[in-house]
Amino acid sequence: MGFVLKRIAQMVAVIIAATFLAFTAMNSLGDPLFNVVGFHASVDCDAVLAGEIEDVSGQGGTDVGDCEVVEAAREKYYLNDPLPVRYVRWAGDVVQGDLGISFKNSMPVTTIIGNRIPKSIFLMVVAEIFALVIAVPAAIRAAYKANRVFDKSATVSSFGFISLPNFALGVILFYLFVVKWQIFPSRYEDDDLFSRLRSTVLPGMTLALPLAATYFRLLRTDLITTLQEDFVLMAKAKGLSDRWIMFRHVLRPSLFSLVTVFGLSTGGLIGGALVVEQIFVIPGLGRTFVEAVIRDDFPLVLGLVTIISSSFIAINFIVDIFYSVIDPRVSRET
Amino acid sequence: MRLNLITTRRAFRGLQPSDADSDVSQIDNEQREKRKIGFGFWVSIGWMVLVVMAAFLAPILPITDPNQTGAGGRLDAPNWDNWFGTDTNGRDMFSRTIWGSRVSLTVGFFAIVFGFAVGGPLGIVAGFFKGATDKFLSIIIFILFAFPGLVLALLIISLLGQTLAVVCFTVGIIGVAPVARLARAITISTAEREFVAAARILGSTNRRIMIREILPNVTIPMGALAFLGMALAIVGEGGLAFLGLSVEEGFSWGKMIVLGSASRTLQKAPWVSMFPIGVMFLTVMSLNYAGDRLRDFFDVREVGIGGG
Repeated sequence: MGFVLKRIAQMVAVIIAATFLAFTAMNSLGDPLFNVVGFHASVDCDAVLAGEIEDVSGQGGTDVGDCEVVEAAREKYYLNDPLPVRYVRWAGDVVQGDLGISFKNSMPVTTIIGNRIPKSIFLMVVAEIFALVIAVPAAIRAAYKANRVFDKSATVSSFGFISLPNFALGVILFYLFVVKWQIFPSRYEDDDLFSRLRSTVLPGMTLALPLAATYFRLLRTDLITTLQEDFVLMAKAKGLSDRWIMFRHVLRPSLFSLVTVFGLSTGGLIGGALVVEQIFVIPGLGRTFVEAVIRDDFPLVLGLVTIISSSFIAINFIVDIFYSVIDPRVSRET
Repeated sequence: MRLNLITTRRAFRGLQPSDADSDVSQIDNEQREKRKIGFGFWVSIGWMVLVVMAAFLAPILPITDPNQTGAGGRLDAPNWDNWFGTDTNGRDMFSRTIWGSRVSLTVGFFAIVFGFAVGGPLGIVAGFFKGATDKFLSIIIFILFAFPGLVLALLIISLLGQTLAVVCFTVGIIGVAPVARLARAITISTAEREFVAAARILGSTNRRIMIREILPNVTIPMGALAFLGMALAIVGEGGLAFLGLSVEEGFSWGKMIVLGSASRTLQKAPWVSMFPIGVMFLTVMSLNYAGDRLRDFFDVREVGIGGG
């Protein structure tokens, strides 16, 4: 159990570090006020309020009144405090489930994320199901008759799919199924479960095919290794059917690295579907994130970074624990 | 002793006396297969040389100016004058694909240079000194790992601006963590070998050992990673283009694919996106294949999940 506690501490430390990094970067490299008060944000308001200068921006129009607005905004968003203090205040709010208010449409960040997250998770689940449904039977069949026609062609095409960037695959699928054959809608529809499913098939496939290729290669290699084991020979000698041996004795011990990579890729998909959501115009987390970054919507960006990296780290953590349950040596090493 | 994350057998043909003993008798056919680099490897290298040459020689090649509108009609299908057809503005796609490779390859190359220049030393130092240094550096590496790559890239580029240098640097940062992790693992297993102990007994400083003894042994297996990393970097640039965050000036394969993937263009002229996709795919596949072969050839394998 000491191992688990240690990993939890590590996980929390990494989440804090990641969010602090994002927090610092956004605050020191960007201008957090620009969205709230416009270009007045860049004016040296202390000087204006003190009456020393009239307008420093050179753009005209910044008077005492505008500067009072800026001051009020600085007060409201606690921008007068030093950075670490602001981070701690922000983190304190996060722990209490408050991610702040979006600059753009003044909605709570948690509401926005809450609206978007089901679409991303749905896409992720569909993609992983597709990937497994394609990869597992193909790998079993390929390993069963290794180096035969099916195995060879599946191995070659899996290599091709790994090398095909997901946006390229997305464009190709979009061209074939939406533009040319018009089987799937071009816009994301979300009226009922069926239309949602229909809109998710193509992006799901786009994510699933390269994943399936990776899973296939891993599982095939592991299956072939397991098939060399003595217990398989023993089972054969006992006269068990090939099917029984494959599913009862070989598949389970071969799932190990597949499970690991499955976990990691699921973690990656939570925020990693950025490009695919963009191509298929799905209003999920990824697309929200891109919009938020482009608009400099600081609270929303920070909220999304927190959610995305935490779930990524959490899934990594679960995989690690799972790993140590199966193979106790892992926990002793660390 | 061999419980470490990476075992690099046969890092050098002549350097490793252990090649001659126990292992050899156990080499089965599959391993003998791995020792041949294969025909496909040279085909991949050939394609890469072709693409790189075309990119370098673009200014003196007898092709139309990539920005010249009216090099053909609008959205012309591929023909003898315009091998890859023309885009919405009647610009020659063949010439644009060649010119576009310059940005894509630059990002691919410099991102990897950056990733290796930062990640390599980080990993070697962590693996060599172990203890507190290793703990500290490993945590940094782990944090970098824990940050989803594109999310990080998006943040950095939106804050620093969309110039070629920033894009290279950003894609490079994503590469730092994997490079460092592999370098660390190889260093740990190399540092236990006899020639390192010998160097130490001869009175070499740590610095000298790291540069003269460890670095050459880390470099060769890492070469395979460079190919794979370059493929990822080229794809990464394309992904950024789709998010509207690739280089602002000029054009790359990624940006060309984005332009060609607008519904109406796709409907009338699929070649505008399909040719850049095809060329990019072949390049990425060549890099992947060459990297894979090299990795098998040098027998770099990851055992266990490592990290922490």
